[in-house]
Amino acid sequence: MKNEYLPYPARIKSIQRESFDTRTFKVVFVDEKLAKSFNYKPGQFMEISLLGIGESPISITSSPSGKGYLEFTIRTMGKLTRAINQLNAGAILYLRGPYGNSFPLEEARTKNLYFIAGGIGLPPLRSVINSAFDHRVNFGKVKILYGAKSPDELCFKEELKVWQNLTNTELLLTVDVPDKDWKGNVGVVTTLWDKTDMDGNRGIAYVCGPPIMIKFVVQKLLKSQFKERNIYISLERYMKCGLGKCGHCNIGGKFVCTDGPVFTYQQIKQFPDKERAI
Amino acid sequence: MKDFLLKKDKIKNLLISASEEWDTFVPWKDLGEDLQFVKLPGAGKEDFLNKLSLEYGSPLIPPKTIAFPQLELLFEFEEGKIKEKVPPPTKKLLFGLRACDVKAILFVDDFFRRNFEDIYYLNRTMDKLLVLVGCKTPPRDCFCTSTKTGPFLPVPRSLGEVRKEGFDLQLVDIGDSYLVEIGSEKGKEFIESYKSFFEVASKKEVELSKDAKKRAEEAITLKVDFEKAVKNFCEDKVSRKVYEKIAERCIYCGGCLYVCPTCTCFNVFDGKKGKRGERSRNWDACVFEGYTREASGHNPRPEKWQRTSRRYEHKLKYDYLTTGMSGCVGCGRCLATCPVNIGISQVIEEVAKNEKRISSLSGKD
Ligand SMILES: Cc1cc2nc3c(=O)[nH]c(=O)nc-3n(C[C@H](O)[C@H](O)[C@H](O)COP(=O)(O)OP(=O)(O)OC[C@H]3O[C@@H](n4cnc5c(N)ncnc54)[C@H](O)[C@@H]3O)c2cc1C
Ligand code: SF4
Ligand code: FES
Repeated sequence: MKNEYLPYPARIKSIQRESFDTRTFKVVFVDEKLAKSFNYKPGQFMEISLLGIGESPISITSSPSGKGYLEFTIRTMGKLTRAINQLNAGAILYLRGPYGNSFPLEEARTKNLYFIAGGIGLPPLRSVINSAFDHRVNFGKVKILYGAKSPDELCFKEELKVWQNLTNTELLLTVDVPDKDWKGNVGVVTTLWDKTDMDGNRGIAYVCGPPIMIKFVVQKLLKSQFKERNIYISLERYMKCGLGKCGHCNIGGKFVCTDGPVFTYQQIKQFPDKERAI
Repeated sequence: MKDFLLKKDKIKNLLISASEEWDTFVPWKDLGEDLQFVKLPGAGKEDFLNKLSLEYGSPLIPPKTIAFPQLELLFEFEEGKIKEKVPPPTKKLLFGLRACDVKAILFVDDFFRRNFEDIYYLNRTMDKLLVLVGCKTPPRDCFCTSTKTGPFLPVPRSLGEVRKEGFDLQLVDIGDSYLVEIGSEKGKEFIESYKSFFEVASKKEVELSKDAKKRAEEAITLKVDFEKAVKNFCEDKVSRKVYEKIAERCIYCGGCLYVCPTCTCFNVFDGKKGKRGERSRNWDACVFEGYTREASGHNPRPEKWQRTSRRYEHKLKYDYLTTGMSGCVGCGRCLATCPVNIGISQVIEEVAKNEKRISSLSGKD
């Protein structure tokens, strides 16, 4: 029997600043065999820890085609995330996982893909976005709608430019509070609906962001004819184990950590209202 | 199948012998009236067993602590090196369990085995023998006849490898001895290994045991319509008002969940002193406000009634829907421990009535 609670050391190879409170870490397992054999799917997460400080679930933001390393984008929220964001390249993180289900892409073959992210919701979507780009011919149009509080808080600024220039791909950005250089849209993510054509008939939507954003995005998606089962949402819940044991992430009879974190809206609709899945 | 007889005056020696092979846990009364399952020590077994108590009501602290301690070390670390601290698998004899607790143990075993296997729990509990001693005088808060989890469990017709009813051996108090019923191959083997302590029971003794079981069953006066309540829970017929009424009174101390034999929620935390430290887990409870509060401050269950709803629906709806068995075994511990006198039995009673008003929880008693 494997000890699922035991984390494995991984070294930080490089760090990319995303914004004042968010950085992206490229890490490699210290154990070379593990680094080589490690597999995951887009949308899965790892439990990341610093010994003596704590452990938290963090989505894998790299895509599985990038072999031998993992990337995580981490925003400072509390004790552990602050400590991680103070580390330098060469430091060790402790990882266990991967956990959870994933964003399915097989079902989306030949369809148009719509990715809708708010704030720190883009990192998990980035994994599936890049997986889709790795197999670009399989899909129709790709649209990425992404909103952040301010221009500085947009993650992956360089990569956004790359995505923008890909054929048959549209990237729409928005911020709540613009700075003097910002020329794009201002307002919450749903205001982007006026800027582009959102057609759910041949579309699959992938959504991640704060609960309030998800709620409004789903309403918009349904209006745009997206089917409930074609809307995939990654939920966030307080998590302690990632194994379906500690109980913290439960919603109704499900565990977000093992049954999710990705659910279709059709599934989410069946959760009792009082459990406030979104 | 043959039944056996175990004379009461042989129990001490049986336990001393068995403890050579098994880590042996028994209900044990230390200072005061509180009773707990405690492991027989390596030395001084005779003296220790003077405080063995098989005629207790029910131990407030459930035997789940044997495999799922309130605080458990997961691993230690020093200068970045992790030292695994998994408990070694040992053979355990749990002697003197109540029927409800046998059911609860199997329920929790199943939970820790589902999806991911929890090595800490399973190592502690994989190889065990469950010896049930049925209640003679059940405590007043129990309602196991309603949940069909006691005071005795039915004897399986054949002995499969897999425990069907739950116990390996079931003991019925018939005066100066116990009638011993066999529930599994493992239980049968135990009797064979410790032959000298057991004798074959006569017809008369079997009859006596039937009377004893009947008396115990009749002594349980707290009755609730459990099936109806579970049905109402599963069909979402429980109104928010029911939970709000409980919320007015509950002080959210979590006591009821700590003593619940099927509660398994835990928290994980690190401790560190200098370069050394450890990661541990400890019991947690869904009635706490911080249980679902995320680092951003967002809390999907900020209101008390939501947490109360979670607390009862987990046991009486979701457990039932996922496993076919409800998470309540009718042991009555929640009522016995609650400082404001709320028990799941009252909630069940009210939900079974399916009335908007919930009188017994209104706080005017
Ligand atoms: C599936 C999933 C994926 C996530 N992916 C990312 C990501 O890619 N990038 C990112 O920046 N953040 C992500 N988060 C949120 C991140 O886990 C929390 O911000 C983080 O746990 C805060 O920990 P802390 O120690 O800094 O905060 P503190 O407030 O000090 O938290 C203390 C402890 O509470 C628990 N906790 C608090 N909030 C959460 C939460 N929202 N979810 C789970 N546990 C929590 C953790 O165990 C943590 O150790 C994700 C959360 C989930 C559930
Ligand atoms: S023991 Fe009583 S007061 Fe405490 S959480 Fe349980 S029901 Fe509420
Ligand atoms: S995080 Fe522990 S059960 Fe889901």
